[in-house]
Amino acid sequence: MVAQNFGHALFCAMITLIISFPILGFNLEAQGINVTLTGAKTTTIIGVVLASIIVFGFQLFRDAIMGALGTLPRFNPLAGREPMEPSRRVKLESRIITVLVVLFLFWPFMVSRGSVDLATLVLIYIMLALGLNVVVGLAGLLDLGYEAFYAVGAYTFALLSRYFDISFWLALPIGALLAALFGLVLGFPVLRLRGDYLAIVTLGFGEIIRILLNNWTNVTGGPNGIGGIPDPTLFGMEFGRRVKEEGNTSFHETFGIAYSGEHKVIFLYLIALVLAVITAMVIRRLMRMPVGRAWEALREDEIAARSLGLSRTAVKLSAFTIGAFFAGFAGTVFASKQGFISPESFVFLESAIILAIVVLGGMGSQLGVILAAIAVTILPELAREFSEYRMLIFGAAMVLMMVWRPQGLLPMRRIHIKLNRLE
Amino acid sequence: MRTPVRKITTAVTAAAALTAAGQACAEIQIGIAGPMTGPVAQYGDMQFSGARMAIEQINETGGVLGEQLVAVEYDDVCDPKQAVTVANRLVNDGVQFVVGHLCSSSTQPASDIYEDEGVLMVTPASTSPEITERGYELVFRTIGLDSMQGPVAANYLASLKPEKVAIVHDKQQYGEGIATAVRDTLQKQGIEVAMFEGITAGDKDFSSLITKLKQANVDYVYYGGYHPELGLILRQARQADLDATFMGPEGVGNKDINTIAGEAAEGLLVTLPPSFDQKEENQELIKAFRDKGEDPSGPFVLTSYAAVQVIARGIEMVDSTNPFEVADALRKGSFETPIGTIEYDKTGDLESFEFVVYEWHSDGSKTPVNQSSR
Amino acid sequence: MQDLLYFSQQLINGLTIGSAYALIAIGYTMVYGIIGMINFAHGEIYMIGAYTALIAITGLATLGIAWLPAVLIVALICAMIVSSAMGWAVERTAYRPVRGRHRLIPLISAIGMSIFLQNYVHLAQGSRNIGFPALVEGGLQFGSGEGFQMSLSYMQITIFITTVICMTALSLFISRSRIGRACRAVSQDLGMANLLGIDTNRIISATFVIGAALAAVAGLLLGMYYGSVDPLFGFIAGLKAFTAAVLGGIGSIPGAMLGGLILGVAESLTSGYLSGEYKDVVSFGLLILILLFKPTGLLGKPEVEKI
Repeated sequence: MVAQNFGHALFCAMITLIISFPILGFNLEAQGINVTLTGAKTTTIIGVVLASIIVFGFQLFRDAIMGALGTLPRFNPLAGREPMEPSRRVKLESRIITVLVVLFLFWPFMVSRGSVDLATLVLIYIMLALGLNVVVGLAGLLDLGYEAFYAVGAYTFALLSRYFDISFWLALPIGALLAALFGLVLGFPVLRLRGDYLAIVTLGFGEIIRILLNNWTNVTGGPNGIGGIPDPTLFGMEFGRRVKEEGNTSFHETFGIAYSGEHKVIFLYLIALVLAVITAMVIRRLMRMPVGRAWEALREDEIAARSLGLSRTAVKLSAFTIGAFFAGFAGTVFASKQGFISPESFVFLESAIILAIVVLGGMGSQLGVILAAIAVTILPELAREFSEYRMLIFGAAMVLMMVWRPQGLLPMRRIHIKLNRLE
Repeated sequence: MRTPVRKITTAVTAAAALTAAGQACAEIQIGIAGPMTGPVAQYGDMQFSGARMAIEQINETGGVLGEQLVAVEYDDVCDPKQAVTVANRLVNDGVQFVVGHLCSSSTQPASDIYEDEGVLMVTPASTSPEITERGYELVFRTIGLDSMQGPVAANYLASLKPEKVAIVHDKQQYGEGIATAVRDTLQKQGIEVAMFEGITAGDKDFSSLITKLKQANVDYVYYGGYHPELGLILRQARQADLDATFMGPEGVGNKDINTIAGEAAEGLLVTLPPSFDQKEENQELIKAFRDKGEDPSGPFVLTSYAAVQVIARGIEMVDSTNPFEVADALRKGSFETPIGTIEYDKTGDLESFEFVVYEWHSDGSKTPVNQSSR
Repeated sequence: MQDLLYFSQQLINGLTIGSAYALIAIGYTMVYGIIGMINFAHGEIYMIGAYTALIAITGLATLGIAWLPAVLIVALICAMIVSSAMGWAVERTAYRPVRGRHRLIPLISAIGMSIFLQNYVHLAQGSRNIGFPALVEGGLQFGSGEGFQMSLSYMQITIFITTVICMTALSLFISRSRIGRACRAVSQDLGMANLLGIDTNRIISATFVIGAALAAVAGLLLGMYYGSVDPLFGFIAGLKAFTAAVLGGIGSIPGAMLGGLILGVAESLTSGYLSGEYKDVVSFGLLILILLFKPTGLLGKPEVEKI
């Protein structure tokens, strides 16, 4: 067996050497005005050679190693158990979500300001991921331009506050509705495209929105972005050190407590929390309503769904619009958290990360998506010590997750009967 | 002059400062926030090495008020979103003085938080006028503005009596800001701006743009942006036999442009702050950088050094680490730094920041050109 | 006359870029044609090709070898070997284990791979733009002494000729060789091809290798034509090439060629007559328009919904 693998192992080791040695082994450096080539440090070269040897060894004894791994006891304690009753499972899931929400509610009062701020960002991503989950996870429409709706929400608030002095609370529904309108307008023509064509068109749409925001300098400030976006107020009370708007009072003076910057951060966090809970609940209800079932039916088998009398356009459009609506929601919160937005916050990578959250979480599953959003946002922060390698690890983790656990952290399960085919 | 609100806030900050001081005894934390990773990390390196050196040297001579300065470093990747996170963490860590950020688009959202939370900020690199336009108390810089640099370039161009000038920019805050300032000044002087156009940053193919410049028959082209794109434009223009002189801001004036443009970089005009590393009185400092194996010639090394110095001097002047008092002191005082004497106006901008026009050569050297106007 | 010269110049600029897009687009279209996935990491493979070529060229210069044909050929071969190996390794590690799963799984894996490769090169070579030596200089001039002169550089001619050679070779390879026939069989029906004794795994690997090799050619050519490389430039080029592939009808090799040329010319004319800021808007807008009226691209086969 080892002899059989020898050729292949040698080949793999060669490939490892070829793909790593030229790039890692030589450094192009600008020395003054010339580009020179210097050899890398000896440790790097030893590393490259070592990697090839490991690949060689692994491929050579591959069957033995895989066999040994296979006989190891499963670490997953749940593996042997029968899948839970669907009704119990649903109950358990809602209980976990409730516990999470309660935990989230008390979280800001226990930890530092930086953590609360980060948690707000996590909540924004949860909203975005839940929204995209409707489009991708439930309706099965591959949307790579989701950040466009996010941008529409953020810019709506920024522009309204700049030109019309409209406050956060009024801008929130307007931003979300406008994003939904964009979703509707974009969705209408592109929904007859299938699968990957839809993906590239949405990607193109996302880029177009970003470029237009960047070029329309007179209105959107172009690359300068829009600054001075007001913070949300609580019944006319502001959280800043000084009151910025006529007629408002400041929070700390009203209650006669010392000013603390944390109030604002915590307030913003609580708003984000409430909105995230609303998002989750609305989508949860929608999932059980006929329209939610229709999304899934269309995802599973378009032709069958249409023969049962579902209107393809209406169902797809509703998914697209609702997804966009929640992106607009998240965008408004993002704009008021940042206080300043510019087109560079809405690049394709943002869409890719949200999509990664949805897929990592297990498409369609709300709890999974929430957990994945927490993981994806917080892990890079924790990995700051490896800041240089952060994105490298992120990319590798995406690939490894897809290879090892493609169904995501918590895959969504529906009641289904499996017919065993005869081999 | 002081309003009651100011008094309250000062008192509150003092209280906050006392509690913070309790946590970090006998040390003054200086935050350095900028990109350590990401596409502009090379500029971040300049910022960090300059600020670290200043902190080191100040500590060697006994620190500030008898206390040692401690550098706390943060990576914002030049991403506005991360900059806000960094700013919050910085406030969290009880840091009261920040050298940063680097990119204007990061500095702007971060400065909102610093102003609210009473953190004094000195940016050594952000040149966007908007940052200091908002009447903030605690925001300073040790670098000139786009609106200072643009007119210098435009006046020089005007003195050359050009027939047609084209202005190209990279559609980013920095590039477009300067390009607009150049255009406005040129138009005021009655010089025809034949073209005002944006390109996409990160793009590599400029053949269409160059064809257009050829068609428009311009004799001068001003480019607002950074060196990677201008290097390619110069090189591709030479390939296409475009006969025009190019000019750019300090973002294009580093040796990397030579590795990209090669021969085509000869004759490029660049507005730069006077090369501080060439100055007689800085030679000792320059040697200290060289001994550490660091390159002091980058545009933001000494501005970062000066930023730390200004903060330290301000603290000494008022004998307190209250950022509001230090800010007052900065507005009143005048400070000797490697980048010259620094005095602040009301907004927190430098009273004056000199820019000089240089001619760039294909071997990476530069010579100042004689300016007839200004 | 002036305007005509100007127009032809912009046309030439567009066709140059377009043919390079086409070379990259082949990789997307072949992979899609066979296993129906978007290989998002393909742009990075092109970038790695350009880097390898630059390393080879600089290395030769250090050794003192300056004979142009030798330098170009060595650089080309090095770039093709490294890129092909990369293409093979990427398929093996990131795509083969997830093949046949839900459509989104390979896509996410590919996006992850793209981020990984970008940062791999970034960490190894730094984030700076590095200049690419101008090896092929000079060109032909058209037009009278006064006014606008149209120029056609030798580099542009090299790009056209190389693209034509590569495309012809590829077409011959696909239509005549055993592997090419197997490729076509696999793209028609993977399961059936497998039953007929074709080693589908090998054929899929082969398409990745061919796509990567062509991307390496594009990497060397465009590196020289543009004048610099950086770790991020593969992504943008990849996006454009992918757009070109979809425009022409994904899965179709002549379609990729046509899509690349159309995209290149559209971009060039937009920059030439409108403004460079809007060239990406126009190219994506064009894509959306074409897909609306011809949902499978210009030369794509109309998809039949199977029941």
